[in-house]
Amino acid sequence: MLSIPSGFSFYILINLINFFGIMSGRGRHRGYRQRNNHTLSKVAKETANSLPADSPVLAMFKDIAVKLTDRQDRHERLVKLSRDITIESKRIIFLLHSAITTESSEKAVKEANERLDKLIKGPIKNIGIELENSPAYLHSRAVTAGFQEYIEARTFCSIMESKVIISWPEVQKEFTYVIKNEDSERSLVTMLPQIDYMLGLADLTGELMRKAINSISSGDSHECFSACQFVRDLYTGYLGLFGMGKELARKMTTTRNNVDKVEAAVYALRVRGGEAPPLLLIQSKPEWEREHSDDEGFY
Amino acid sequence: MSSNHVVNSIFSEFQKSLDSEQELREVIRQICKEIDQISREVTTVLQVIHHSDAGILPACQKARELFEKANEGYQRLKTAVPARDFYKYHDHWRFTTQRYCFLISLTIWLETGILATHETVASILGVSAIEEKEGFHLDIEDYLVGLLHLCSELSRLAVNSVTRGDYEKPLQISKFVMELNAGFRLLNLKNDHLRKRFDALKYDVKKIEEVVYDLSIRGLLAKNEEA
Repeated sequence: MLSIPSGFSFYILINLINFFGIMSGRGRHRGYRQRNNHTLSKVAKETANSLPADSPVLAMFKDIAVKLTDRQDRHERLVKLSRDITIESKRIIFLLHSAITTESSEKAVKEANERLDKLIKGPIKNIGIELENSPAYLHSRAVTAGFQEYIEARTFCSIMESKVIISWPEVQKEFTYVIKNEDSERSLVTMLPQIDYMLGLADLTGELMRKAINSISSGDSHECFSACQFVRDLYTGYLGLFGMGKELARKMTTTRNNVDKVEAAVYALRVRGGEAPPLLLIQSKPEWEREHSDDEGFY
Repeated sequence: MSSNHVVNSIFSEFQKSLDSEQELREVIRQICKEIDQISREVTTVLQVIHHSDAGILPACQKARELFEKANEGYQRLKTAVPARDFYKYHDHWRFTTQRYCFLISLTIWLETGILATHETVASILGVSAIEEKEGFHLDIEDYLVGLLHLCSELSRLAVNSVTRGDYEKPLQISKFVMELNAGFRLLNLKNDHLRKRFDALKYDVKKIEEVVYDLSIRGLLAKNEEA
């Protein structure tokens, strides 16, 4: 007779009996049940009973189950880390926007740098640790959002600080760690895919546009022009790319909108700058501007 | 302007890596195409199992020869794909590899009646079975999808072997597929393609069980049961 060593095989048994039991109840075979003890459910039951519960096949599947669960858990942990990075990066960007005067912006940049550093030492390092022994690209979809947002914050901060966009190799270099154990030392790198860097850079145009418009209201026209030029440069760069891939192509529409908005703002500043108080300029909307999606929150 | 210069260099660097990635993808695509062709050839060769009992072993032999050719292809693929970027380009060979997992496990089942393990399939293809940070390997999910294909094919074989007058094979198939079904139930599947493919397994199981039932009700299995 069958022995049921684990709850699991019992579960299967019940399932199979249910499954095939339903089927045997209808159809042309119904009449056979009494006369002949062969029913579909009985056949299924016999086969299920004949399975040894400790067969090598089941052992192999138990092994595979562990691997798959590991993979899923790791993925979930990475998604969580990525979300942490996204939230903090958004806050850092907000902090950088809040600075209006030169002094306050210096202070904001300093604080932003500290917080970015915390991200590098915290969640980003943890991503590296999670991926230390597994292929990074297997989980690239879990972490791409966080990386992009981080790049957006990091490049925005570097522009505020030194008017230069920090490059991919430089950011990647910041993601290199040395882990010291009691007796050994190993280096650890959190791989930052170049595509994630470029995707983050595309989002930067949106932040620069906001900054340009904000700086009109704070009366800093020089800042506005320089931000505008950055947006143009970036857009030009993206236009020149060949074979950029789906995700980046999708961002191009938004980038294009950002260019339009910032140029309209600069136009307004130039034309009406002498005659209107700065705040009015933000509300003024050139006639040729069509309806815009409100995803950026301006206009 | 210095900022402009930096931006330019960022984009030219990126364009450079885009270009080299394109080139690499072209190479990979070419190899995958060749491997894929071989897999289709094997599929065709193995179709004989549905109508000729005598053809099974020669077909397996032919399939084995073709697997060796595929193995060579995988060796080239292994050298072409950068060790770190396995999953970056995985889509190129995912479906072909799934088909190989199916074909190899089918061949081994026909030959010996046992399940080819992940390691066995990987070694026939000449790749590693272990997922590591770097290196080409046989993805575990691809292997599992291949096994699910195998169950569909065996359900067809169960029907066709009865037509041929072979009443024993369906029993063997039934046992084998039941065991696989039990195995798959051990897995925690996410709502992904593997899950969807697994959900279809019950129809194969049902088909096989119906065949076994038809045989048993007509007393066609009686001889075996007594023996």
